[in-house]
Amino acid sequence: MSRFFYAKLAATNLKKNAQTHLPYILTCIGTVMMYYIMVFLSENEDLGNMAGGSNMQTILSLGSYVIAIFATIFLFYTHSFLIKRRKKEFGLFNILGMEKKHISKVLMFETLYVAVISLGAGLLGGILFSKLIFMVLLKILNFEVPLGFSVSGPALAAVPLLFVGIFLLTLLNTLRQIHLAKPVELLKGGQTGEKEPKTKWPLVMIGMLSLGGGYYISLITKSPLAALNKFFIAVILVMVGTYCLFTAGSIAVLKLLRRNKGYYYQTRHFTAVAGMMYRMKQNAVGLANICIMATAVLVMVSTTVSLYIGMEDVLRTRYPQNIMISTPVPAHQSAEGLQTSVHEVLAQHRLEGKAMLDYRYAAFAGNQEGDTVITDESKMSNASSSVRQFYMIPLEDYNRLTNRTAGLGDNEIMIYSSRNVYEEDTLTVLNRTFTVKERLDSFFENSLDRVSIMGNYYIVVKDMDVVKAMEKARAEENGYDPSSYQYYLGFDLDANEADISAVYQDIRTAVGSDYPDSRIESPVAAKASFFAIYGGLFFLGIFLGALFIMATVLIIYYKQVSEGYDDKARFEIMQKVGMSREEVKDSIRSQVLIVFFLPLVTAGIHIAFAFPIITKLLAVLNLTNVGLFAWCTAGTILVFALFYAIVYGLTAKVYYRIVSCGTSA
Amino acid sequence: MTILDVNNLKKVYTTRFGGSHVQALSNVSFSVEQGEYVAIMGESGSGKTTLLNILASLDKPTSGEVLLKGKRLSTIKEKEISSFRRENLGFVFQDFNLLDTFSLQDNIFLPLVLSGKSYEEMSWRLQPIARKLGIEDILAQYPYEVSGGQKQRCAVARALITNPQLILADEPTGSLDSQAAEGLLRLFKEINQDGQTLLMVTHSVKAASHAKRVLFIKDGEVFHQLYKAGMSDEAMYQKISDTLITMATGGARHE
Repeated sequence: MSRFFYAKLAATNLKKNAQTHLPYILTCIGTVMMYYIMVFLSENEDLGNMAGGSNMQTILSLGSYVIAIFATIFLFYTHSFLIKRRKKEFGLFNILGMEKKHISKVLMFETLYVAVISLGAGLLGGILFSKLIFMVLLKILNFEVPLGFSVSGPALAAVPLLFVGIFLLTLLNTLRQIHLAKPVELLKGGQTGEKEPKTKWPLVMIGMLSLGGGYYISLITKSPLAALNKFFIAVILVMVGTYCLFTAGSIAVLKLLRRNKGYYYQTRHFTAVAGMMYRMKQNAVGLANICIMATAVLVMVSTTVSLYIGMEDVLRTRYPQNIMISTPVPAHQSAEGLQTSVHEVLAQHRLEGKAMLDYRYAAFAGNQEGDTVITDESKMSNASSSVRQFYMIPLEDYNRLTNRTAGLGDNEIMIYSSRNVYEEDTLTVLNRTFTVKERLDSFFENSLDRVSIMGNYYIVVKDMDVVKAMEKARAEENGYDPSSYQYYLGFDLDANEADISAVYQDIRTAVGSDYPDSRIESPVAAKASFFAIYGGLFFLGIFLGALFIMATVLIIYYKQVSEGYDDKARFEIMQKVGMSREEVKDSIRSQVLIVFFLPLVTAGIHIAFAFPIITKLLAVLNLTNVGLFAWCTAGTILVFALFYAIVYGLTAKVYYRIVSCGTSA
Repeated sequence: MTILDVNNLKKVYTTRFGGSHVQALSNVSFSVEQGEYVAIMGESGSGKTTLLNILASLDKPTSGEVLLKGKRLSTIKEKEISSFRRENLGFVFQDFNLLDTFSLQDNIFLPLVLSGKSYEEMSWRLQPIARKLGIEDILAQYPYEVSGGQKQRCAVARALITNPQLILADEPTGSLDSQAAEGLLRLFKEINQDGQTLLMVTHSVKAASHAKRVLFIKDGEVFHQLYKAGMSDEAMYQKISDTLITMATGGARHE
């Protein structure tokens, strides 16, 4: 009988608190669905068997970890908010004669209901939607969609495991709070007198410096290489800056405004400034969280979207020619055999190589220290940011390919730097010192440096003797089989993808036997794996973006609701002392607007400042189309802002209802 | 000169779907002269608060009218009602109704700021009031930092600063200890001696005994009234008590 009573009471409680509990349960269902789908995809065998599918699944399983961690923190946070609002209710139960263990029993039932509803609806939704999402993913990846419908065993096991854990955690936290509190304290709930916040100037200074530092890094970073190293420093600085400025900076600004009597004692500003001061004290951290989350969503979605849309561009940048062959040429061989094989294959296919590009070179990597390069591998550090790639090309080939008639002395060089800048006047490498005669602004199109994110130098030397000498010295220093030089041959084909693919395969067999160390590449061959990786990132970006948006929405909703309850009394008083309903509404609107859009606007500013450094990062990933990225960013911001505005509209309505219910006049 | 005229006021509350009617005021008429200090007494549920809300133009009567300095409240437009209230009425509440977000000084300034007064004028107006109420030293503090008596004095200052025609006080001593209540009542008397008209709704015989005239409300009507005239506070106290006992035991109605 009494057990029945608690179960019933718990159900009534959930119904009565629907305004705050419904969004929570919906979020639980949504999170369960997303987690199920993510695990389902990362364990799906069909996907694993597809070309590039396993790469893709690595990315997806990473995504499922992100969702798991995020869900734990987020649901825990939201739930603690719910409990805070209900403390008064528990206090009342307590005073009406329910012991704490009885309240705990009710809470256990409530958690049980929420868990059953969330897991049931979430798994059902997940199973239904998993097929849809799977098809969307395959569409993104350009794969054939297999027929059939499947339910994933591992996912069905993983989801309850995670979420039962989360629900248990929230329950324990609630029980702990109930257990520690005294009934009178419970009755009072959250309404302890709020002290006026103090201005923390040191924090404001730290905030401004770190935010400025983060922005500065983004603006001054010129090379993609440096961008890669400094991006995370910039992100952390901006995050620290955001937290400091939202918490301390906002208070400082408001206090300055308040000190300005002419400004502060105006009808429009008076209540707004004082109201904002309290809002910021309570909400600064939450708003900073929203701001950072929004920034993360925007960066993630805009970059993954532009990578996916710009994939053709990326392919073309990464593989500038249809067929590209590079090989070391052993001392007893020449490059002619290779040329002959290629021409034979082309003749078989009745095709002609267009924009034929071939040159000889020496290639090696080394740590650059000033004007000296360390090439001894036992002394080199790969992790160091001073790693550079060097390509030495004879003047003869350079002149031929660029139609120039430049001349060079014995130890003179011309240097072109890609993804980095060479600032020295001399270059010492492998016991030989060269003088820089000319710094080149451009170089003929080639693909040698496309995979290396470090700095690359193209060095034009006097003749093949220098090239061979360098290759030999390098091989001796590191104990390699000496090869006399490297050879590159690349060309375009006026043919469709299938034909190019056939030529590519034939060249592989023809060249591979004579030149076993050769590397043969074609964008056609790489396309599938590109789709798998970039498509996977794209999918993950959108999926996690949706999750983050859901979280942002919920946080905002709860913020407004809780503020509504706090503001209610305040606005009632204001009406009593002679503020009209319209004035109250105006005042509410302006404050709510500021609280709402401050994070979004700040996120927009962050993105604007991050733009230069992100374009450099994308350049590392071979996306150089800045215009495309700009459009994608703008589009993402627009969509996000739209979402945000809709949420604002809905939330503001709830807020007004709370604030104005029960007020007279 | 008559400041407030209340004629045949009637208020009927209807539940949301028109199911049942509750008559809060059935027929209330009285008037308040300039410089008067009137207390309205009655048991819980006698319609005191309804009456005060109507006088404050926070609520509308079902029938009857209220005239403030000859102006009919019902003729004031919805848009102007707030500024009318601000300029002509001052309020003192049982639970002070001070905003925690403002310092005491800003709380007192609130109605003036809403009327668009300059800071100079506001502080010039505040000085004599603050001195009189003895709150000069706590102006920079916040409501949660001071005692109930101090809070109520600030609320009085907020009511006075607009130079209202009439101050309406709703159980002003209700949340105060006896000493603070005594202080506040003394203050009301002083303010009244300076010429301020006061109308106070109260339960407390003690509070009512300070007023110049006491109106008794029962079942939504003015049941009886007492004039203090030359009486001492103690004699008035006794008289009010007697009246209340008569009312409670169902005595006949007389003016």
